[in-house]
Amino acid sequence: MSQRFFRLPSVRPSLAPWTYGFIVALAMWIATTAYAGLGSAGATVASALAFGAFSVVVGTGQMLVVASGPGNIDLSVPSVLTLAAYASMTVMHGSDGLILPGLAAALALGAGAGALNYLAITALRLPPIIATLAWSFVFQSLAFNFGGEATLKPPAALAGFTALQVGGLRVMPLAVMALTLVAALALRRTLFGRRLLATGQSERAADLAGVRVGRVRLLAYMLCGAAAALTGFLLSGFTGGAALNMGDAYLLESIAVVVLGGTSVAGGQANAVGIWGAALFFNLMGTMLNTFHLQAGVRFLLTGTLIILIVAIVPRPRAA
Amino acid sequence: MKNGYITMRSTTFGALLLAGTVLTSVGAQAADGIAKGDTSGKTIAFSNSYAGNSFRQVMIRSFEETGAQAAKDHLIKSTAVVSANNSVTEQASQIQNLILQGYSAIVVLAGSDTALNGVVKDACDAGIVVVAFASGVTEPCAYRVDYDLDSYGKAELDYLAGRLGQGPENLLEIRGAAGDGFDKRLHAGVEKAMKDHPTFKIVNEVYGAWTSTVAQKEVSGVLPSLPKIDGVLTQGGDGYGAAMAFEGAGRPLPIIVMGNRQDELALWKKQHQSNGYETMSLGATPSVSQVAFWVAQQILAGKQVPKFVEVPLLRIDQGDLDAWLAKVPEGGVVNATYDQPLVADIIDANVDHKPLPGVPAPK
Repeated sequence: MSQRFFRLPSVRPSLAPWTYGFIVALAMWIATTAYAGLGSAGATVASALAFGAFSVVVGTGQMLVVASGPGNIDLSVPSVLTLAAYASMTVMHGSDGLILPGLAAALALGAGAGALNYLAITALRLPPIIATLAWSFVFQSLAFNFGGEATLKPPAALAGFTALQVGGLRVMPLAVMALTLVAALALRRTLFGRRLLATGQSERAADLAGVRVGRVRLLAYMLCGAAAALTGFLLSGFTGGAALNMGDAYLLESIAVVVLGGTSVAGGQANAVGIWGAALFFNLMGTMLNTFHLQAGVRFLLTGTLIILIVAIVPRPRAA
Repeated sequence: MKNGYITMRSTTFGALLLAGTVLTSVGAQAADGIAKGDTSGKTIAFSNSYAGNSFRQVMIRSFEETGAQAAKDHLIKSTAVVSANNSVTEQASQIQNLILQGYSAIVVLAGSDTALNGVVKDACDAGIVVVAFASGVTEPCAYRVDYDLDSYGKAELDYLAGRLGQGPENLLEIRGAAGDGFDKRLHAGVEKAMKDHPTFKIVNEVYGAWTSTVAQKEVSGVLPSLPKIDGVLTQGGDGYGAAMAFEGAGRPLPIIVMGNRQDELALWKKQHQSNGYETMSLGATPSVSQVAFWVAQQILAGKQVPKFVEVPLLRIDQGDLDAWLAKVPEGGVVNATYDQPLVADIIDANVDHKPLPGVPAPK
């Protein structure tokens, strides 16, 4: 495989698709600050970074799945997130000493869920949309049984870590940025990254070139599950516990940040850094519409319109 | 504020119970206590619009437990629960199935005020008693069991006025979900009550979806643009997230009206111990499903029940905080048991337009 598989088509030399999220996010930040006063600028962006970090972790996992080929998508993300949050809170039982086992349980559960998703897709030949949606009902039911009637509290040290600030900067978004860099490097420089994109571009070509396509996709789904689980783990630390509907917001968002971030839905082309731009866009849009005191109906209308508008103006990334 | 009844002590409460059971043979429309008609062969189904949060989980369990006990006591033959996944069409088809299965009564927590009207009418036409609770159903053949959400908003604002005085104060309103019936009615109650407090200003409103995580995110997003906040109006389930948002922004905690969740009460107690923080907690009880169950059972037993039965809200003030906190399960929602005599009392109080019997604090 040569580099050109990963280059964006150079017909439009202007701006890369993934930069649009950042640009629109910046515009919204300026608009919000203009309305609410200069003093709010720092706090607004800090809040967007903190909550955007969660969308980025989920979105990065979803990106791997989406990039692994046309039609690949993981709709079980919200329920895996919720179930992993419950499982890890149960393992930790509020004790600081059990944070690592709790994290391990969450990641193992997420990876296992991803494997089950992929198994249903290959063994039962279900379309990914159906397979992952079906599993999501199973995972959600398990979460109901796990602790359906209660919010399970996180250990103090985990809550402390997710809210930790050093010199006025939150640590967690920085850690997630590091994760983004790792993902971006992995896509470009590692064998797995290359194989994933090759599989996404043409399953047959990749197969003929000796890539074990099935294994690559399996790993993509497992990583996606693990990313959702990690989000559940961190989110329950940040928001004070696992709750049954904590994952709901991340179904649409995990897919939207991937697409707005410059990853091709057709597969074979991925962008990890762009997810940050899209996640910031989503969070700052919510803040901006709230700050402007708009009616809920108008908020929804603008949210939908803005997403369509931005997807429409962004030059379409194409698989080779 | 009409909240006197809520702090009513158990002696009065017991007397009321007694009164309710003694007065069995008064005229049809008057308060006539528990109807004793034979309902041992009747079946009651519960059609629930959504089961995906802890409140609804407790609500379902409350219904099932009451149903199982009533079956054991030969007050009912059997019960069933079906939940739709927040989809009105799904709920409508489930109710169609319940009609075909021939249930004597269907208790509905409706996902929409209007979308179920057709199927509710079908059920009524089939001779089935329909009781919609904690949700509006505009079809007039259905009985409704619900809170008066005007008094919810009024209680919140009256409490804040009692604490803050009538000076200019900035409030933040956390609403539920846009377009939701409960949210609309509660917000209307807040707007009505705001007329009595012209110096208060709601500086912004956000949608918290009655969920801690969502409320925290939404409040965190708008806080930087807001002046000092003196009080936060909530709808339940969102108070803890709001507190986390204020904490995260390094702002002092305003008076956040809590919503009877264990994490909210624990936070309140912790704050009270460290700095004397005080607030109050108000909320629906998940066991309102039991009220609906007994209302349906009483109708089947021949009791005259008005088309609208108001249910009291459960209110917790500083004095009762410890007692309630000791009783609520870790991470759960404050709940209370509504048994048959209490529900008969609630119905009678509605018939006679008397103050509703309150839910007494645990001892």
